[in-house]
Amino acid sequence: MKLTRRDLFGAGAAFAAMALPVRAAVPERVATVDWSVLETLLALGITPVAATELLQFSEVAVEPPVPPQTADLGLRGTINLEVLQLAAPDLIFSSNFYRASEERLQRIAPVESFTIYAPGILPFDACVGMTRSIGARLAISDRAEAFLAGTDAEIAALKGRLRAGDGRAIIPINLGDPRHFRVFGTDSMFGEVLKRLGLENAWRDNTSYSAMAPVGLEALALTPDAWIAIIPPIPPDAARVLSQSAFWNALPAVREGRVIWLDPINPFGALPAARRFARLLVQALPSAERARG
Amino acid sequence: MVSASRKAFASWGALALLAAVLFAAVLATRPLVPGPADVSAALGQILLWQSLLPRAVSALICGAMLGLSGALLQRVLRNPIADPSTLGIASGAQLALTAATAYAPLLIEVSREAVAFTGGASAILVVFLLGWRRGLDPVTVVLSGSVISLVAAAVSTTIVLAKGEYVMSLYIWGAGSLAQQSWDAPLALLPRFAFGALAAFLLLRPLAVLGLDDSAAKSLGIALHAMRIAVLVVAVWLAASVTAEIGVIGFIGLAAPTLARASGARTPRDVLIAAPLIGALLLSVTDSAVQLLGSGFADLAPTGAVTALFGGPLLIWLLPRLKAHMRPGTNPLAQKRLHRPYWMMIGLAAAILAAGLAALMIGQGPHGWSLATGVLLSDLLPFRGPRIVAAGAAGAMLGAAGTLMQRMTGNPLAGPEILGVSAGAGVGLTVALYLAPSMAPQFLIAGLAGGALTTLIVMLLVAGRSGFGPERLLLAGLAMGALCMAIISTVLAQGDIRAFTLLVWMSGSTNNASSVEAWTGTVAAVAMILPLFMFWRWLDVLPLGEATSRSLGLPVRRARLVLAVFASVLTAVSSFLIGPLSMIGLVAPHLARLIGFARGRDQLAAAVLLGCAIMIAADWLSRIIAFPYQVPVGLFAALIGGPYLIWLLNRGAAHAR
Repeated sequence: MKLTRRDLFGAGAAFAAMALPVRAAVPERVATVDWSVLETLLALGITPVAATELLQFSEVAVEPPVPPQTADLGLRGTINLEVLQLAAPDLIFSSNFYRASEERLQRIAPVESFTIYAPGILPFDACVGMTRSIGARLAISDRAEAFLAGTDAEIAALKGRLRAGDGRAIIPINLGDPRHFRVFGTDSMFGEVLKRLGLENAWRDNTSYSAMAPVGLEALALTPDAWIAIIPPIPPDAARVLSQSAFWNALPAVREGRVIWLDPINPFGALPAARRFARLLVQALPSAERARG
Repeated sequence: MVSASRKAFASWGALALLAAVLFAAVLATRPLVPGPADVSAALGQILLWQSLLPRAVSALICGAMLGLSGALLQRVLRNPIADPSTLGIASGAQLALTAATAYAPLLIEVSREAVAFTGGASAILVVFLLGWRRGLDPVTVVLSGSVISLVAAAVSTTIVLAKGEYVMSLYIWGAGSLAQQSWDAPLALLPRFAFGALAAFLLLRPLAVLGLDDSAAKSLGIALHAMRIAVLVVAVWLAASVTAEIGVIGFIGLAAPTLARASGARTPRDVLIAAPLIGALLLSVTDSAVQLLGSGFADLAPTGAVTALFGGPLLIWLLPRLKAHMRPGTNPLAQKRLHRPYWMMIGLAAAILAAGLAALMIGQGPHGWSLATGVLLSDLLPFRGPRIVAAGAAGAMLGAAGTLMQRMTGNPLAGPEILGVSAGAGVGLTVALYLAPSMAPQFLIAGLAGGALTTLIVMLLVAGRSGFGPERLLLAGLAMGALCMAIISTVLAQGDIRAFTLLVWMSGSTNNASSVEAWTGTVAAVAMILPLFMFWRWLDVLPLGEATSRSLGLPVRRARLVLAVFASVLTAVSSFLIGPLSMIGLVAPHLARLIGFARGRDQLAAAVLLGCAIMIAADWLSRIIAFPYQVPVGLFAALIGGPYLIWLLNRGAAHAR
């Protein structure tokens, strides 16, 4: 048996690869258990080998679309570790929501975790940081920076279109049933986007990174001058029951037609979800019509 | 109300006064609507007439309906803990609504009420059909009710998990909020209450007879079945209407008749009149308190959850003062006796081995079914091995815990879920989620253990004051369980990361089991189950009753205390592994007994083996049935165990004839 030159080169390359520190290797097979990371990866043009709850993701987050080659890991609460193992990732992105599973994820591949939604953290800035970290880790910092610049540009453009608007405050809510809603405060992702669009959040309080606990519909009377922006999911019978409710119909915002029913947006999303919210909101506000016409 | 004492009138009057004062306070302190004066005034008027007043009226009507329903159920079933929730009505309705919201929103669009009513009615129909062959025997009816309740709750939780974004709506509804925007709900409920009250009035005389035992009633010429069914239909219909319009409001149906009796109502007539009254006032007081304690327009918590928050402790406080007004249900289990129990046990052990091997090797991957061997097996072993071991150990521990509780109480309904220890562990977890510096596993485990232990201590203090009477223990456990679940569902309604963690725990998934869980389970199972065989004599004697046990020289109180400590710790560890929903602790001992393991230590060993085998099989099924989505194993334990238990109950009935 004769050693070819190619064999020698191969051996040399293998040796060189072994000598390199593991950390420097750029992962090629990336998996994620967190939806905000999934959005970000897809927006940066990375196709993860596996991610959680893809059926629900396409209904709730809608964009970006998930390529068919990404394996579905099942529910976020019960990640299918067998499937994750068989997907053979060399890096797993996670978040503070999955801390209890981290040890088991570590057994499959190295884990990098982000904290976007936690008390005291402003989600928009945290997402910017996460996008940069992912860019650096996957050696696509240029794409990450381009995406961030694109985000700033889109929000600036949308803000420009709002100049012709009525300048009224917005109250972003999610209907729980026809009698209760949750509101997204100034420190939620939607609150942060409103701030960047130069709009006022009619709900002036913080709600600790997400939406606050459900309150009765009566609380909407506290913000008579605002636009009511309703974020899905919308309970099946809510629209019908609300249209029959004397109180709902007597609210100044409802009487004056200041209610916006938005398409689905992931309330625990990353920058793609933030951009989607900004875009859908500005499209729905009447100023957009005037700006176009 | 001739036989009710003056003291009774005084206490009911005081309750009415309290309700009135609190409602006046709600009216006086209602927040003003901001904005321009005219808008503010108009909205304020609408709030008063379309929200506050219909809400107050709804509270009164719902409370009355639930009180009446509970009184009828308790009377006809001769069971002081019968209530819409123990019969599966509430869980059935909740399941129907959950399923329709997630998979058939069109149905909800047509009628939310009809969907919930169908679910509640279906659940109770199944319970009746199962109890039919036993002549609607009270114990069988409640037993079937709890089985169906647990299955329905497990399926509901799974659907909520699978459709995570719908969580909030379901939990508000599940916890029963009385907030109204129109008079629709009270106007829909009022005629139903009127009809129910009329029916109850007409059934007064036969009801008195139903308090007698079967042979006495039959000799009086009452058509026993027809009468019972008539009363049950009325009671169920009342409860299902409330569940459909408002949601689940726990405890009023249980507390109102109990308070009625405790405060001096003696005859069935007194109770039937007093229970709706007390129910209405109780719910009114609760609802006003919830509004007063909340800030602005926000309630403190859903009213349905709060009724249990103070209804539970109230009932526990009352327990030592209660006399046993009702005859405990007779034991319906046919006593078949195995002549060679050891051969059967060897068979069970072989079944465990087979199930374990199958679960380890057979599975699904992205490319279909596979029999894992060699490299693939060693790749998957770190994930499959621990969960199989954890599930088996949890099943074994629940089997043991259930056997202890059923032997201690002489009551075939006893089980870890019914004692409230599983739910108590959940409260401990909730506290840990709020107070612990992080969500690291050790804090969560500590929380679970602390919760279970605290629940146990409270149970011991309450029941220990007068010895552990069987009914008292069940009643205290039920109250404790409802109280704990109320705390948990209030937290779930907040919908943040803590709710997420709680939901994952409640679903009872072994998916996250690692070697830590596997070892914890194995060591705890061995260390806690083996010593139990030293107490075999206690297990044989205790079911004979307190007097007999004492006369046989048994240190009754000490025996019960020791066994209760074992049962609680076993429950806590298993709920850490597979959540609180599984019903193996109720099912495994039952199966053991129905197969024919009659002696205490035989039943214990068989229940341990059965629990272990069922859990391993359930875990395997939960992994593959909706691949790659995994169904929580708690659900599968219930789905395998529930129907099997029911089939065996019926088979036992056939043998008995």
